[in-house]
Amino acid sequence: MAKLQPPQAPQSQPAAPDGGWGWVVVGALFVTSALVFGIIRSMGVFFVEFVQYFGESAQAVSWITSIGLAMQQCVSPFGTALCNAYGARPVVMAGGCLSALGFILASQATCVTHLYLTMGVISGSGWALVFTPMVASVMQYFTRKRSLAMALGFTGVGLSSFAFSPLFQLLVEMYAWRGALLILGGLSLNIVACGALIRPLGAHKAVAALAPGESAWSCASIFHRAYSYLELSLLFQRPFLTYSLAITFFNCGYFVPYVHLVAHSRHEGFSQYQAAFVISATGVTDIVGRVVSGWASDLGRLRLSHMLVLWTGLLGLSLLVLPLGSLGGSYPGLLTVSLAYGFCAGAMTPLVFAVVPEIVGMERMLGALGLLQMIESVGGLLGAPLSGLLKDLTGSYTASFLVAGGFLLLGTMVTATLPHFFSCTDQRSLQRHAHNSKQQNQHSPESGLMTNSISEKLNHIDTIPYSQPQLDRNSLQLEPEVYMPLNQSKTDDATNKC
Amino acid sequence: MFSPWILSLQLILFPLFWRGLYTTETNPQLVLTDPVTTIFKSAVLKGDSLVEKVEILKPIDLELACTWTGNPNKLPNITGYWRKDGSEITNSRLTVQLENEQYNLKRVFRITGDTLGNYSCIFSDTDEAKIDFNVAAPEMDDKKDKPVVAYVGDSVAVACKTKLPPNTWLWYKANGTEQELINATTDPLRYKISVDGNTTKLTVMNLTEEDSGVYVCSAIYNIKASVSRVEVRVITFMEPLKPFVAIVAEVIILVLLILFYERWSSRKSSNSPTENGVHAEQTHKLTREGNNGMDENTTTRQRKI
Repeated sequence: MAKLQPPQAPQSQPAAPDGGWGWVVVGALFVTSALVFGIIRSMGVFFVEFVQYFGESAQAVSWITSIGLAMQQCVSPFGTALCNAYGARPVVMAGGCLSALGFILASQATCVTHLYLTMGVISGSGWALVFTPMVASVMQYFTRKRSLAMALGFTGVGLSSFAFSPLFQLLVEMYAWRGALLILGGLSLNIVACGALIRPLGAHKAVAALAPGESAWSCASIFHRAYSYLELSLLFQRPFLTYSLAITFFNCGYFVPYVHLVAHSRHEGFSQYQAAFVISATGVTDIVGRVVSGWASDLGRLRLSHMLVLWTGLLGLSLLVLPLGSLGGSYPGLLTVSLAYGFCAGAMTPLVFAVVPEIVGMERMLGALGLLQMIESVGGLLGAPLSGLLKDLTGSYTASFLVAGGFLLLGTMVTATLPHFFSCTDQRSLQRHAHNSKQQNQHSPESGLMTNSISEKLNHIDTIPYSQPQLDRNSLQLEPEVYMPLNQSKTDDATNKC
Repeated sequence: MFSPWILSLQLILFPLFWRGLYTTETNPQLVLTDPVTTIFKSAVLKGDSLVEKVEILKPIDLELACTWTGNPNKLPNITGYWRKDGSEITNSRLTVQLENEQYNLKRVFRITGDTLGNYSCIFSDTDEAKIDFNVAAPEMDDKKDKPVVAYVGDSVAVACKTKLPPNTWLWYKANGTEQELINATTDPLRYKISVDGNTTKLTVMNLTEEDSGVYVCSAIYNIKASVSRVEVRVITFMEPLKPFVAIVAEVIILVLLILFYERWSSRKSSNSPTENGVHAEQTHKLTREGNNGMDENTTTRQRKI
């Protein structure tokens, strides 16, 4: 298998090129995250119009974004399952069309329920099909510079929320909200163009071959394929469950300041402009934090999971200190702590995604991301209302910030319970070298069906320490032989590299 | 001569009396049926100019009192007079004497709907120091300078708000220089007027292009009506459709460009004659070739420690 064709031209390297076309895909992620989350963050302009036109309360109108975000997170596993089946490109393009359709239909709405269904459900599902596959594609394109690529891609969110608010205001003034939503649908169609930029790296995940005599559409084989595409086997594995619990705790605390910082600043007696400036400054440090964190984690000094723990720990601490910062009416104090919060919150974001391949391996990363999004939505749904409740009970935001900081620190501690957390080295790099020397002599009859990409071969190594091979029959033969010598080499190398 | 001294001062607004302005009577001795009450309004000037707003709801007698403390010369006698809308009121010149370091000037004006305007008291020395009183009916709260946009067949709601509730609200549609009263009872399918204290809302339904134009809401007070204008623009759906179609065309062109570029560059780079097939086939081919480079790849792919 390995020696069939003559050596290929250097530029067509399908496995983690770490550059070249990868940067184009990062640009696509930039535009996509701008068009998905930037639009969500700038919806406030439309809400004012909806309240005036439909005569509904602000709370009824704010359900639109809640439904949209909930759909984006809960439908994510299906998005990644479709990606596993058909590849990222068609799924992202379909998602772009779907989210545009949601906005186009919303422009014809005659009651708020129509808006829930179109902007909430349809566009939310479209975003689910777009966001996670896009993130996963970028991660497939990079290994060494993964965090930096992710960070640069995510800066789209911050920059677009600055640009979109005045733009939406202008559109609403010129065309009223109906026309503005129609044009927004057109803008969302650009996601289709971004999806077209994703050149597939290697074939999609292939499921194990059908047993002879079994039809392709029988219940058992459909269920089997769905199970494999959705990566539901991950739900039974401790590392994944640990990480998803940690992420859920992070989500409980992460959004609280975005929701409450302005109100807290006003509560402490600062003017509207001062409060708005705090938020803008926090947004700027968020963007800076993302890029700095991405660049720093790619330097390779610390393991990704260690860096994640570092940033989330700092974030939790800054949240705990936030009520103290404005003590005595000190505006510089509040500003400093908010800037620290913004920096750490931004720093945490690319790492949250970049750590996933370390835990579940490149092959299952796609499904893992989808499942993670769905599980972490629980945290988001819990966090903001809980903090609101605490504010209503205690009368100030101190309790909310303390609880949010507490959740973040709890998540940090849960992250520390990941297997092999306290070793200095990443287990994979050791096993890969040992594994590759054996790889040349392997000839599995099923590799014709399965993918032949390098990333696929190396993925089997990635899956070894944390997961049991269930449906990847390819690795079944490799497992026992590889494990034994690895255990010996692990201890030697570990002592050397620490 | 005053300038350097005056420039360094800030005009301080003296706390104002609004005795009886918002109540039906000021003086217990006045009979309730007495239609004209007296309102007192005073201001203190420390620099050389001050502007005050006086909001009047119904015809009253208004006594304006000006006090000037800012004169460095401290002449015992200066001239004071009154102006209305820029022109001097006849026989209003008086000699003002310096008492307790200040000059006082007082006059009573009968304010009706016709006599609203800008009243100024002027202390005349070598320079003039004045206080302007803008006597007018209450103004509308929100200034709408941007037109309200709505679509044909849709409905639009226009609102007006004041600080003090008027006796009634009236809506007009402006046709050039004329105004046509809008009667919601004769045309209930098209117009709806609702009044809620100091706010009023006009809803125009089943919009057509002729409904574009300026709508005027007027708050009728005893003294005068206060108006505010709003422009309504009715457009068809064709208007936003044009940029929308332009964006869709741009997206389609981009997608086609990207796909063609990819096909062209992969055709250029593949060694063997490529079948002009699906992308999946080509990438499969590429990945198969990728296996040979595995040794080189592993050395470049180093995980972070």
